[in-house]
Amino acid sequence: MTIPDNDLFLTPSCILGALNPGTEVLIGRIYDLLGLRWRAGGEDPRSQCTCCTGISSHGDVISVESTLLVVARLWSIAADLGFENITTACVTSFAIHMECLEMYEHEPGLAARVDGWLRQACGRGLRIPKHVVHASDIVHRYRQALAGRFRYSLVEQATGRPLRVVDHVGCHYAKVFPAKVGGAEWCDVLTGMIRAWGGETVDYPERRHCCGMGFRQSMIRPNRGYTMACVLKKLESMAPWKPDAILTNCPGCNVFLDKEQWAIRDLTGVDYGIPSLSHSELAGLLLGWDPYDVVGIQAHTTPVEPLLDKIGIPYDRSKERIAEERAELVQIA
Amino acid sequence: MAKQVCVIGGGVTGMQAATVLGGLGVPSVLVEKSGELGGRVPRLSRTFPFFNDDGFNDGRDFTAALERDLRANRLAEIRLNTSVREMTGDSPNFRVRFSDGSVAEAGAVVVATGFEPFDPTSLQEYGYGVYPNVITASELEWMLNPRGPSGGALVRPSDGKKAERLGIVFGAPFCSRICCSYSTKQASTVKERNPKAFVACFYMDVRTYDRGFEEMYSLALDRGVKYIRGRVSMCKQLPDGSIAIRAENTLINKPFWGEFDVVSLSTGMRPCRDADYLANVLGISRGPDGFFLCREWFRHPHDASRDGIFLAGCATGMKPIRNCMIDGAAVAARAAALLRDA
Amino acid sequence: MNRDDLIKAYEDLRDETAPQGDATWYPNIRRLFGTPFEREKDRLETRQAMEECEAEMQAWYEKARTESCTWWLENHLVARHALKGCISCGVCTAECPAAQYYTDYNPRVITDAVVSGSEERLVELLKSEMLWYCGQCGSCKPKCPQENNLMGLISSLRFLAQLKGYHLASARGRQQYAARHLWGGNLWNRALSFYFRNAGAETHPDFGPRHAQYQSQVDEQMRRVGASPDAEGLFGGRKTAPETVEELRRCIAWGGTLALWNQLEAQAAENARAMGLSIDEYYDRVRSEG
Repeated sequence: MTIPDNDLFLTPSCILGALNPGTEVLIGRIYDLLGLRWRAGGEDPRSQCTCCTGISSHGDVISVESTLLVVARLWSIAADLGFENITTACVTSFAIHMECLEMYEHEPGLAARVDGWLRQACGRGLRIPKHVVHASDIVHRYRQALAGRFRYSLVEQATGRPLRVVDHVGCHYAKVFPAKVGGAEWCDVLTGMIRAWGGETVDYPERRHCCGMGFRQSMIRPNRGYTMACVLKKLESMAPWKPDAILTNCPGCNVFLDKEQWAIRDLTGVDYGIPSLSHSELAGLLLGWDPYDVVGIQAHTTPVEPLLDKIGIPYDRSKERIAEERAELVQIA
Repeated sequence: MAKQVCVIGGGVTGMQAATVLGGLGVPSVLVEKSGELGGRVPRLSRTFPFFNDDGFNDGRDFTAALERDLRANRLAEIRLNTSVREMTGDSPNFRVRFSDGSVAEAGAVVVATGFEPFDPTSLQEYGYGVYPNVITASELEWMLNPRGPSGGALVRPSDGKKAERLGIVFGAPFCSRICCSYSTKQASTVKERNPKAFVACFYMDVRTYDRGFEEMYSLALDRGVKYIRGRVSMCKQLPDGSIAIRAENTLINKPFWGEFDVVSLSTGMRPCRDADYLANVLGISRGPDGFFLCREWFRHPHDASRDGIFLAGCATGMKPIRNCMIDGAAVAARAAALLRDA
Repeated sequence: MNRDDLIKAYEDLRDETAPQGDATWYPNIRRLFGTPFEREKDRLETRQAMEECEAEMQAWYEKARTESCTWWLENHLVARHALKGCISCGVCTAECPAAQYYTDYNPRVITDAVVSGSEERLVELLKSEMLWYCGQCGSCKPKCPQENNLMGLISSLRFLAQLKGYHLASARGRQQYAARHLWGGNLWNRALSFYFRNAGAETHPDFGPRHAQYQSQVDEQMRRVGASPDAEGLFGGRKTAPETVEELRRCIAWGGTLALWNQLEAQAAENARAMGLSIDEYYDRVRSEG
């Protein structure tokens, strides 16, 4: 898979936007820092980005044809703006876009039918993009350039020890179309960043195990035990290596590897305390951007501050919460 | 004096062909690209099955005996460190040019170039080449040979400690006819030497197909080798270097989770790496699987697609040693007949 | 209140703005999401949209509902390419995280039912709990030596189960009614599948007190990092323009999804009646059981 180096259309992530919003905004900030030309939607009100329907699709409440149409609409907006390279903030989106591409390739006549429906639906035409990649592919591509701008690196400041970082590549990045990304087992998208940024990668038995987000399994409350069990399995497996952090590229993984650690501590008494960072968060921190105002680590359940201490990134803990006078009290109906 | 036969390949098949030709009064020039005769057999630790007494505990015992027979017959000229570069002419007047520049006239050619084990590095899920304790069947075989790196003992490559738990993955990634059998032989051998060892074979089928092989399989089971029907999804390395395997025991619908000191991948076998080159030089066809193709599948199983060229041994597909020996004799007869009539 | 009035009332509330620094903020979305009001409005609106839509796929799914399961396997865009034959090697089950968690689950049973071509076995599968255990992770996909798409097959079968109402026979299947309104409602109204206020502390106690604390200040926390909670913007929490929402709705409709949503609604109404529950009580029940 060729990774484009500029002219990127960025599609948003439902989960990042909802649960770790700084991460997503950071992608745009990183693109800006690298001097890349990018857009995340059109100017006029009818050309804004929407969800790719990934969650709804894997949650089985939307038809495959509706997904094809929604994605085709995004491609058409990108094309109208002159972009042929799609970068998705979300890994599920990445797989959804790829699946659409695959279907057009292998299903005779489908492209024409979808084009016809799209025109009927919203007056747009099917324009297949040249490249579809995930945002972490761009960060990976520019990892050395970014490292050159970093104020900090993945090294324990006090001892010079390279920090041990576990890579957790999203299943929908690595497993759904493994040939595109260098195979499902040892793809380099996150380990490349870890090495380039001074850290040490960790291979542990359950490295390739799903985080357990599982769409309907995590989002419908009675099912969430499954998610917890998967996270626990991974944490238990990585624990002997005492990792300093987990690096992710998928929003779901980023959130659940972070958030379930609290319940796990509550239920088992074991506090793993391994912060789960997305690639853009880690880049943002190493660039020296403010951990709370820009990166948004306060959204994490498992504290990131111990990692900042190790790296030597200063922070003002009082900024984690918004002072009461400034906070808006929200009444939920 | 009859014209000579050029035998390409100095493994057991080539040696047999040259010896039988000699017995028929036909001279041959046997070319072998490496510095030794015997091919891959010298690295074997045991043969299978064990019907007769000529089973050996070290492959070199067998090839040494073959070499004695070959050299006793003065009609075979042996050229080591030599390979075939070019061939002109047609049967029965071939002119073969070798890598040292010399030329030989031959009335017929025998291709006995053997096979090459598949390199499982590309099967990334098994971790071969990354995890030291994941090895190939060929490496396991040499390890079990008394002349091998550990004197025949099963050890963990990562730290040299004695290995008590062996996992064998069948058919990585495709069937080569004898892998189930040689794997069963290996498993059985390990259990025979160390009855306390835990040996598990992960299979999809057990194709111990030939005479005596089923008995060998039964013997392995009697010795306590575990057979689990399930494809191995991946190998994972534990902190101490042991390898964890997860598979489903599909016959009883239960997961199997095991930790091993060593995992051996019974790789499939490919044609020798020069097969493509040689096919061009000799002007003969290969099948879609890459092995050389015979002219007529049933009537002329040893004839290549071109007159005067004969195929024997693993060059036409994996087979046990005994069948290589049969092939070698068969092509010797074909070649001799051709030269008699020429 | 008639349908049009209800919809207008909702939209007026939704689109009401209030100033918030430089941004345009929509203060009522937080009062509308996930409410019985929104669900009722969606119910009426999607039925209307379906009546007015002449999408080929909508007609197709309507027809599919009355055909056999084996017909679906031969004709559905995903199902018909999903299975190339199964040798029961077990590598999918070996990898599958759900098979490790749900000890009675074995994805091969699903392929076996499909390969059997038996309508009876398929119906039994569609009515089972087991159909809903898969987490759609795709761990099976790169492993299958036959290159089957088990993940897609399961997804396709789940769609069929809902179309035909078989999902009502299992607790996990009944959850789909809640799923339709959670994700479908978010898509239909907010152009995304998950809205930031869906991650509230009350429904996510397992996320711990730090999360609860963050959520109590979520609007400000989001704004400070450059997101746009209930406001116009590019990133998290953004209020999408009605024109885009309309385009999205039409894409959803033209793909035939409304046939499913309306079926789910009809099935749920009947199921609720049978249980002696109001539709909203039913909604609360199915999303907390399983």
